[in-house]
Amino acid sequence: MKFPRLILGLLAACVAAPALAQPAPAVPGWAVGRPDGSTLAPHAPRLTVTPLEQVPVGQVRLPAGFHAEVYAHGMPGARMMTEGPGGTIFVGTRAIGRVYAVSKNADGTTRTRVIAQGLTQPNGVVMVGTSLYVFAVNRVLRYDNIEQHLDAVPAPVELTSAYGLPTVEEHGGNHHWKFTILGPDGRIYTNVGAPCNVCEFDRNRFALLVSFKTDGSDRRVEARGIRNSVGMAHHPVTRALWATTNARDWAGDDWPQDTLHHIRRPGQDIGFPFCSTGQSDPQFNAGRNCADFARAEAELGNHTAALGMRFYTGTMFPESYRNAIFIARHGSWNRNRLVAYDVVVARTDANGNTVGGVEEFMTGFRNDAEQKFSDRPTDVHMLRDGSMLVSGEQTGALYRITYRR
Amino acid sequence: MSIRAFLVAAVLAATIPDIAAAQDRARGEQLAAGRCTACHGENGRSQLEGIPSLAGQQPLFMVTQMILMREGIRQVPAMVPFVDRIADKDVEDLAAYYASLAAGPAEDRSPRDAALAARGEAQMATRHCTVCHLPTLQGREQIPRITGQREEFLAHTLAAYRDGSRVGADPQMNDAVRGMPDADIAALAHYLAHRD
Repeated sequence: MKFPRLILGLLAACVAAPALAQPAPAVPGWAVGRPDGSTLAPHAPRLTVTPLEQVPVGQVRLPAGFHAEVYAHGMPGARMMTEGPGGTIFVGTRAIGRVYAVSKNADGTTRTRVIAQGLTQPNGVVMVGTSLYVFAVNRVLRYDNIEQHLDAVPAPVELTSAYGLPTVEEHGGNHHWKFTILGPDGRIYTNVGAPCNVCEFDRNRFALLVSFKTDGSDRRVEARGIRNSVGMAHHPVTRALWATTNARDWAGDDWPQDTLHHIRRPGQDIGFPFCSTGQSDPQFNAGRNCADFARAEAELGNHTAALGMRFYTGTMFPESYRNAIFIARHGSWNRNRLVAYDVVVARTDANGNTVGGVEEFMTGFRNDAEQKFSDRPTDVHMLRDGSMLVSGEQTGALYRITYRR
Repeated sequence: MSIRAFLVAAVLAATIPDIAAAQDRARGEQLAAGRCTACHGENGRSQLEGIPSLAGQQPLFMVTQMILMREGIRQVPAMVPFVDRIADKDVEDLAAYYASLAAGPAEDRSPRDAALAARGEAQMATRHCTVCHLPTLQGREQIPRITGQREEFLAHTLAAYRDGSRVGADPQMNDAVRGMPDADIAALAHYLAHRD
């Protein structure tokens, strides 16, 4: 812990020295600040179908009374979810460039179809009425009446220039994929991640939560200094925006933490890159007082990759889960020992305050003895019957969580 | 597959994984014969300019690239007829086969130019190649082996990443070679092609 912090401090001194007239040597964005000799690197995605018998539903551990089943499978790279009025679940991806549709057959089984492919990281999917909006990088597409056209999808409406989001190049290849939701005000909310692991950047363009009218006009900054949020939702009672964010890498195994934020006023500043978890960044603090920035509502663990989150408003789960936030933690790569690969829950009251700590909810994918994982929870989605879907990106499966007293 | 056949297959796979893997390689070899071998070489070492060697390549890297080509995300016109609607199982078996072959230099490799190789070796430090490809340069998982490869293919690939005409599973390589001069690319490709 101390040793890498010291190294980072020395690196910061070198970077700040005016003698460094040459452009900084190229290094993958995720590896900025990486201590010499480390072999940590992002985990590989699996882009081929995982057969049903290899989907590790049998390993899932849940609190008493909860049960996990495979709702759908065979969708490599399955990530973020949204649901159409007809009950179709649309699933975004990253590397494989596809959007899947999961519909229910009359006998209760599901059918999956690829409704879009060849896109650049179409991670953001959101339904607005009967239209599906797909947010790729930098591409915004609207598929009207999509549930009526699952077998022969007509050309979508291009909204790319209307939204005018930064390109892959402007992001420097970092944090350009989108998480997208529809707010209670009818606006579309999404993230614009930081263009680096940690660096100086234009804080009016990057590390933001932004909202738009659905046609892409009237951009509004909802939160700033939020490094990369790949999960957000509005509180069902207070209607305030809440979001998860992924903190920086290469500052040691045990700092900083990924965090959960309650955006109490539009434009609230979370403090990246100056501060993380309320503490000064060892390289990029720039003399800022961390007390000036909004503190996290909850800490979600070191390098856990807290991604998709939703509030629970159904009635199937026990009363104690009402207004609770379920958060998918994708699992660490920038840490010597694996953490997370689970779903956790943070409870809130009707006034929008968190109650108690963050609890583990869905576990079993992480093997501590062998330092391996069998799936990576990436998003959660509440079905109308009060059950919950969890997407597993590594196996391309959707798990359904039910409760029986 | 019937339930019984499935159970038999599942039991076999669970109890004798090496045999299951060997079958995959054998099936991959059959799939490769006459299709892949015509360009990529009988032993996975390409004799053709511009065509990569596949012998000893990381299997997950090859799987990822074939899927990205099938999906139209990595665009290689010459590969389109071979990857169009290719089944995931075929992709995995082909990768298992080529990964099992011994990597090595192309027969038509040019003589080593010590000055050029030294310039290329300096690029290794500047560009932090071993961050992902490891000090052995054999790669891991989705990250490829970059030894045992044809020099002109390495140079072409580095330029394609630099110019943004190629993307991987993520854009890390585009970032790593941003703005790299042609002369540095040539030197790095020469160094890598001669590092056994």
